[in-house]
This record gives sequence, structure tokens and C-alpha cells, in this order.
Amino acid sequence: MISVVLFFLFFSLLLYVLLGGADFGAGILELFSSEDNQKITKKTIYRVMGPVWEANHIWIIILIVILWIAFPLYYKVMVTSLHIPITLMLLGITLRGVAFVFRHYDAYVDESQHVYNWLFHVSSLITPVFLGMIFGGMVSGKIILITKDIPLDFVEAYINPWFNVFSFLIGLFFASLCTFLSAVLLIGEADEEGYPVYVRKAKIATIVVVILGLITIIYGYVTDSTFVKSIIHNNISIGLILVSAAFLYPLWYSVKKGIRIASRVFAGIQVLLIITVALYPHHPNFLITKNGTINLLDKIAPNAVIDVLGASLLVGGLLIVPGLFHLLKSFKMIKILERK
Amino acid sequence: MENIDAARLQMAFTLIFHIVFACIGMVMPFFMIVSHKKWLNTANPVYLQLTKAWQKGVAIFFVTGAVSGTALSFELGLLWPEFMEHAGPIIGMPFSLEGAAFFVEAIALGFYLYGWNKIPPKFHWFTGVIVGVAGVASGILVVSANGWMNAPSGFDYVDGQFLNIDPIKALLNPAWFTQALHMVLAAFTATGFAVAGIHAFQILRNKQKELHKKAFKIAITFGAIAAILQPISGDISAKDVAQRQPVKLAAMEAHYETSKGVPLYIGGIVDQEKKEVNYKIEIPKALSFLAFGDFNAEVKGLNDFPEDEIPNVAIVHYAFQVMVGLGGLLMFAGIFFFFSNWKKKHWFDKKLFWKVFAFLAPAGFIALEAGWIVTEVGRQPWIIHKIMRTTDAVTPMPGIVYSFYLYVVLYTILTITVAWLLRRQIKSLNSTLITTL
Repeated sequence: MISVVLFFLFFSLLLYVLLGGADFGAGILELFSSEDNQKITKKTIYRVMGPVWEANHIWIIILIVILWIAFPLYYKVMVTSLHIPITLMLLGITLRGVAFVFRHYDAYVDESQHVYNWLFHVSSLITPVFLGMIFGGMVSGKIILITKDIPLDFVEAYINPWFNVFSFLIGLFFASLCTFLSAVLLIGEADEEGYPVYVRKAKIATIVVVILGLITIIYGYVTDSTFVKSIIHNNISIGLILVSAAFLYPLWYSVKKGIRIASRVFAGIQVLLIITVALYPHHPNFLITKNGTINLLDKIAPNAVIDVLGASLLVGGLLIVPGLFHLLKSFKMIKILERK
Repeated sequence: MENIDAARLQMAFTLIFHIVFACIGMVMPFFMIVSHKKWLNTANPVYLQLTKAWQKGVAIFFVTGAVSGTALSFELGLLWPEFMEHAGPIIGMPFSLEGAAFFVEAIALGFYLYGWNKIPPKFHWFTGVIVGVAGVASGILVVSANGWMNAPSGFDYVDGQFLNIDPIKALLNPAWFTQALHMVLAAFTATGFAVAGIHAFQILRNKQKELHKKAFKIAITFGAIAAILQPISGDISAKDVAQRQPVKLAAMEAHYETSKGVPLYIGGIVDQEKKEVNYKIEIPKALSFLAFGDFNAEVKGLNDFPEDEIPNVAIVHYAFQVMVGLGGLLMFAGIFFFFSNWKKKHWFDKKLFWKVFAFLAPAGFIALEAGWIVTEVGRQPWIIHKIMRTTDAVTPMPGIVYSFYLYVVLYTILTITVAWLLRRQIKSLNSTLITTL
């Protein structure tokens, strides 16, 4: 059953990055658009994402609930050491969620829309940056495993792990990845006026993602990051990076030509590869710490818990996935599948 | 401020906020689907307009409930990592099931909000039913986790270790049923009276009377039924607490001396130093009867519990009085409504009738929050009853007070904004003419 639990952990992470990420990206796209394009984007995202956006953001709840049930020790270290960026991310999630709904459901359309829009754009940008910084903190090699009764320096224990250039670069990289996903998604959904806009945005976003990815890796290598070294010294991850680079060409081609299904599939493959490269080389020590090591599979919950959790995830999955699919289908959010 | 106090305040503050929004998001869909059903049956456009107005309310409250719930699911760990490390696996089941129910609710809400004229009308209505049922299900499930803190079960506690974990037994802990029943009724009472009160106020202002009267009737019917049933559930809860957490019961009643045939105190000022209650009204032998069903039963007093296992008596006692007082008031208001609807329909033309219900609008929520204060403050000093102290669960990170301030500012602004948005919704509702389709 532990493999079922691990599968769902990875599955919810992947779906959160893909769906939640595209959702964050839509806000970033709006932020970096001219006023006219902003209106087009706004219209498209409520049509395309409106019905599903709540569901998109539940994946992170599933993710952390799995973490705390099955991997309690790991969860404790994360929420203790990365308390501050997690709180800031929650601030972003809260503001973004309410702005998204307020601007849609406010009874009057007046000046207050400016405030909602501004809030939505800014929080759409900072939330994925903080999410990336949280991941950056996890792999920064600066997390201190806190043992009771040993007084710690506040900055060293709670600030340094995430407040550093490398984590910030990962944050920016993640935000750009979200933007890229969103632009690619919207190509397939836009009407005539939006179509060229998203093709152009997707092209720019692809370039930004590649450049930021390279900068992050080079910076990590130069500053002797354990995380980056573990990637570079691992044959499989190097292989995957090469595969990812090879897939850049068909991705670029399908984005440029605006081929709806292919660009989406290639974007999904890129994300899957990026997540795998980021997680595989140092698994199962996903937290890279300063003192000692901590393994995800250390002190996992007892078998009785894992079995029940695995069973509920399977049942829940059977219940939710078809519902979600039907939702997407009903509102023609995957109309490209029908268009042929 | 001590870290532990800041953490407790932050938890209390965010929960107080979340509970209001979650309850409305959980109960309002039922009002919405009743109105929607009436629209489908009667084709009266007023019902359509009402359904759409309530739907906007549901959407706004659902999202504020959802984001504050997301924040809470993290806060459990951010503030109480030691608790979550041990309790997380044991009470994971209600949380994972709640997550599933919430997911179903979000999917159904997507169908409902965006489904007008796009999906078959009956199916569309049915998705609204799922929103309501899934919402109540997630509420019931999450209360199980709280019930477990009051009645820890499903494990053996040996030398500081949690062994032989049985997550299903933990889910079905003895406090779950009584707490969940009390909470669901409270949510319907509070939301029913709040929504009815808002519409009663609009009737007082002579705006869109036909629509607001229909809205009032739907909301008050739910609220009144729940308010009338609530004392029964309260009695079950009291008897349960008397057995499981006698110290909480003693604190609720500020009952210090162990004795037989104990009176029930109404009101009174608690003097925690002298361990006595002044200026109270006494109902002879009533506490013994209410707690144990026997007028002469012995009720253990606070003096017979260890000093360091007693909660803040004054807070628990006052909160309990507020809850019971307002709950009783709402029960009578519920009876009053049914009576007027049955025998005295002409009362509906009197201003006083609407004034009463407009005035009662916040009463349910005040009672509901007071009830949570009773159960949560009454559980102290334990985070897991008799197993783990709250002070041992708090995060080692100093400076929680700043995160508390952040939440105070954020949620205060949010509350003001939501109130302002609702006012705009009502204003727009009042100014649109009902169109016949």
C-alpha cells in the first residue's frame, strides 16, 4: 500500500503543478499583458478555468494531508523550518482566491475592479514564487534538524534555508513555468482574437523558462549546491535533461504553429521531466539538510494507517477523477479532444 | 506575548473566522436548491432571481471558506508540529475523507455555478444537492478530528509512544457523534437565522417584499427546525461530556465543590481566586439531573481535579451561558415563527415581527462561536485529552505573535470586504426589477 500512497503523493504534486500552475500562470499572463489583452485573458480564463479552478487548488490540500498522515516526521520538519515562506504562500493563496471570486461575483462593475485585478495579478505572481522558494528551501541544504533543548539562532534556523538567491531563482523558475503552462493551455482554448496572443506569450514563456532553468543550474553549480551536484552527477537525471532538451524542438514547433494537442502534450512532458529531474537524484532524501539526513521513508506511519490511507485514496480517486473529467468535458474545456 | 499564547490566539482567531464562512458555505446551498426547486416547479421568476442571488452568496462564502480552510490545514502543522507528528497519522482518516468530500463539493459547485442553460435542468439542480450534501459531509468529517482530541481513541499510549494505531476506531471516536450532531444543527440554526434576519431587514425597509418574504420563509424554516431540535442534541452532549470530560462539565457550570443534588447556575460572576460564583440564579438539583438524569447524582467539582488540569473556568462558564441563553432564545423564536405561520398569518404584516427576526440575525453565530469556545477552552490544558499538553505541542519557532497579527489584519479586511460585497449584492438585488421570462 505504501506504493499506492507514494503514487498519489507524486500524482497530486504533478496535478497541482500542472493545473494549479496553469491557474497561477493565467494571473501572471494577465499581469504582463496590455490592457486589451488583459480583457481577453480575463474572459478566457473564467470561461476555461472558472468551473474547475477550485478543484485545481485542492490538489495541494491532498498533497499535504498525505504528507502528514503517512510521513509525519517529514511533514514536521518542513512546517517547522519553512514556517515563514509557507505562511507567506498561504497569504498569497488567500488573497488570490478571494480576488478571483470577488472580481467575478461583485454585483457592480466599478473602480473596485482595479483593486481586485491588482490583487489577483500580484498574488498570482508571488504565490508560485513562494512555492518555488519552499521547494528551494527543502533542497537548499540549509535546513537544520531541530532537536529539543538546543537553542538555535533564529536567522540560521528559520530564515537562511529559504531566504537565499538559489531558492529565489527556483521561485522565479517555477513562476515562469506556470506562465508557460498557462499560455500553452490557453492556445487550445482561445477564440480567434486570443489565439495569436497566446501563441506569442507561449513562445516568450518557453524562452524564459529555459533561460531561468539554465541560470538556476549554473548558479547552483557555481555555489556548490548539493542539490544541483546530485543532479549533475546522476546519469539518469542527466539523461532526462537531455531528453527534455530534445523535446524542446517539437515543443517549440507545435507552439509556434499553435498545434493545440501537441503543444499541450509536450508541455506536460516537460513538466513531468522537470519534476522527475528535481526529485529523482536525491530520493528519498527530498529534504537536504545541514546536519544529518532525513529520509522520506524514515518513521513512516504504521501499516494500519498506510493501508487505510491507500484504500481511501483509491476510493476517493475513483470518485473524483471521473467527476473531474465529466466536469471538464461538460464545459468543453477539453474541446480540443473533440475537435479532431 | 508568549509563543504559546500567540499560537493559541492565532488558532482561535482563524477558526472563529473559518467557522462562520464554512457554515454559511455548507448550509446556504440547501436554501439555494429549495428555491431552485420551487422555480422548476412553479416557473415563478422570483424564485429564479432568488436562486441566482443566493448562488452568488454561496460562491463568495465557499471560496472564503475554502481558502481559510486551506490556511488552517497548514496552520495545524505550522503552529502545532509536535501534535501533528503524532496525531496526524491517527486522525488522518477524517481529514483525507474530508478532502475527498470537499473535492466532490468543488466539482459539483463548478457544475452548478456554470451550468445554467448548459446542462439538463434536473441534473443541474441535482449538482446543487450534491454541493449541499458534500458540504455537510465534510463538516461532519472534520468535526471527527476535533472529537478525537476530546476523546482520543484508536491507539495505545505506552511510555510516550502511540502504538497499535487503528485509524478507523479513531475516526469513530466516542465524541464524534454528539459533537457532529450539535455542530450540524448549530450551522443550520446560525445560517438560517442570519439569512432570514438579513431578508427580514430588507422587508422592514420595504424593498422587493415578495422576494424577501419568500427568501425569509425558506431560510427561517431550516433555522427554526434546527433550533427546536438543538436542545435535544445539547442534552445528549452534556451527558456525554459529564461522562468523558467531567472537568469540562464542571468548568461549564463553574461547579467547584463535589456534592450531590447539584443546582444549575444561571449567569453569575466567577471569582477564580476564591473559587466561587457570585450573583447567580440557582435551579435546585438541575445540574445533577441534566448531567446524569438523576436529581440526586453526585457531580464532581473543580476542587477535586488537579490544579494543572483545569481550564480557564470564567471563560468556559460565560461562553456556556451565552451559548445556552441564545440557543434557548432561538428555539423560542423558531416556535414563534411556526405558530405565526400556522395561526396568526396577519402578524407577517406587522413591523415588529420583522424587527424581531432582523434583531436575531447574529444570535445564532454568536451562540455557535460561544459553543466552540466552550469545547476548545474547556479542553485545555490538553491538546489531546489526558495525553498531550498544548504547551508541549507548540512550534519551537519564536515570534508567532507576528503571524498572529498578520492573520488579524488579513481576516479583518476580508470580513469587511465580504460584508461590503454582500451589501452590494443586496442593493443590486433590490434595484433590479423582476423580469418575467
